[in-house]
Amino acid sequence: MNVIEIHDLHKSLGNFSLKDVSFAVPQGTVMGFVGENGAGKSTTIKCMLNLLKKQYGEILLFGKDIVEHELSIKNDIGVVFDDLYVPETLNATQLDKIMKKFFKTWDSSYYFERLVQFNVPKRKKVKELSRGMRMKLSIALALSHHPKLLILDEPTSGLDPIIRDEILDLFLEFMQDETHSILFSSHITSDLEKIADYITLIHNGEILLSESKDVLLYEYGIFKGSNEEVNDLPEHAIIRTRNGTFGMEALVLKNEVNQAFKLEKPSIEDILLFYVKGRVERW
Amino acid sequence: MVGLILKDLITIQRQFKTQAFIVLFLLIMAIVTQQSAILLTLVVFIVTMQAMIALTYDEQSKWDRFANTLPLTKGDIVLSKYILSFLLLMIGLIIALPLVLLIHFFTQQEIITDLFLNFSLIAAFALCLLAVLLPIYIHFGSIKGRFVLMAFCFMPGALVSLFKEYLPNITITLANLKQFVYITPFAGLFILWLSSLLATAIYQRKEF
Repeated sequence: MNVIEIHDLHKSLGNFSLKDVSFAVPQGTVMGFVGENGAGKSTTIKCMLNLLKKQYGEILLFGKDIVEHELSIKNDIGVVFDDLYVPETLNATQLDKIMKKFFKTWDSSYYFERLVQFNVPKRKKVKELSRGMRMKLSIALALSHHPKLLILDEPTSGLDPIIRDEILDLFLEFMQDETHSILFSSHITSDLEKIADYITLIHNGEILLSESKDVLLYEYGIFKGSNEEVNDLPEHAIIRTRNGTFGMEALVLKNEVNQAFKLEKPSIEDILLFYVKGRVERW
Repeated sequence: MVGLILKDLITIQRQFKTQAFIVLFLLIMAIVTQQSAILLTLVVFIVTMQAMIALTYDEQSKWDRFANTLPLTKGDIVLSKYILSFLLLMIGLIIALPLVLLIHFFTQQEIITDLFLNFSLIAAFALCLLAVLLPIYIHFGSIKGRFVLMAFCFMPGALVSLFKEYLPNITITLANLKQFVYITPFAGLFILWLSSLLATAIYQRKEF
């Protein structure tokens, strides 16, 4: 079962538009949603949450249309943005009092346990918290009604590596329950490499790739050589090519290439750069 | 809905202390000048502004983006601001009215029926003010909303002074309408209800 299904989503915002965006997130998995700044990650997520109105297309969460079943769906999701969007004069204890009015399933003891675990002060105003603390508070708020799906829009951007690592561990802890799923938008590919099961790449409002991370890491390879050597690669094996420092580089399907060609294991970042900056043709 | 009102009350509670001092100052002014209606008007104005302050906090913190990820309807989000405003207005009037009556008791500056006429008119004006301001703040945001508020405060006076020779004598007109004054708060409430429908329609078209 897919917890998220998006079919042919279209949304125009000024000069930018999402063009027939389609992808799915299977239950029990983490989908890394990646793309450069302005690629359309946040726009897609906002459409998924009905914060932006889609022009056409279909968005299903838990198999239900987000516009028709907005309230029941929002009971089962936790959302973390790139910052905590609550009045800055509130503190974590006050937020508990407020949030328990919104969710029947709100678990105050779980919330305060998370605050202790994350070292978030209970009585400090949001405006007095560091960015890392605000994000941890935001995650505690998103988790404490026990959602089945977390939607994370750049939750680690602008954070130092130590805080990022702590936050990623929290998400891995959430994924201990097999019915839980995460959509994780980020342009930090190392975060996705650590946590994601699937990768969806968006570029200029179009989905270029949506694939299992293992397929990307173990079935793809990078060949580096001269133009002539790249020319010798079987055409159907080449996914993208680009100019390298000492000649040409090609992203290829490993199993379609003769073992005589020495291939390097790609990182997620390599694959994304090939898709975004590379060419489909050899030259 | 309760959560939204609670959030606004907690957010604006910091203002209450400052405003308690302002009300105290106004109370002294009203006693010294023996003008109880001024106290009533300003208290109503202060409490009315609290809803706008809550909207400003929401705008600054991008609260609507967060609120719309929660299991809340857009109608609830808008209606909570109307209920908050109405509650604060009632609290303001309940606090101000005994003070006004006390001042009146000691000064006996105006007859008691005039006092209740003033009370009705001020309540109706406050409800109409909310009915105009809330959709404007929701549609345009707090910065543009403030300009509209200023225009709303100064325009009627400016228009009356510009066209006063073409207008019938206001004092006589108001005197003739005296028997209808007591129903004006109900008319104000009706206008506020219509305004809430308009504001909900505006909010439903917004994107975050």
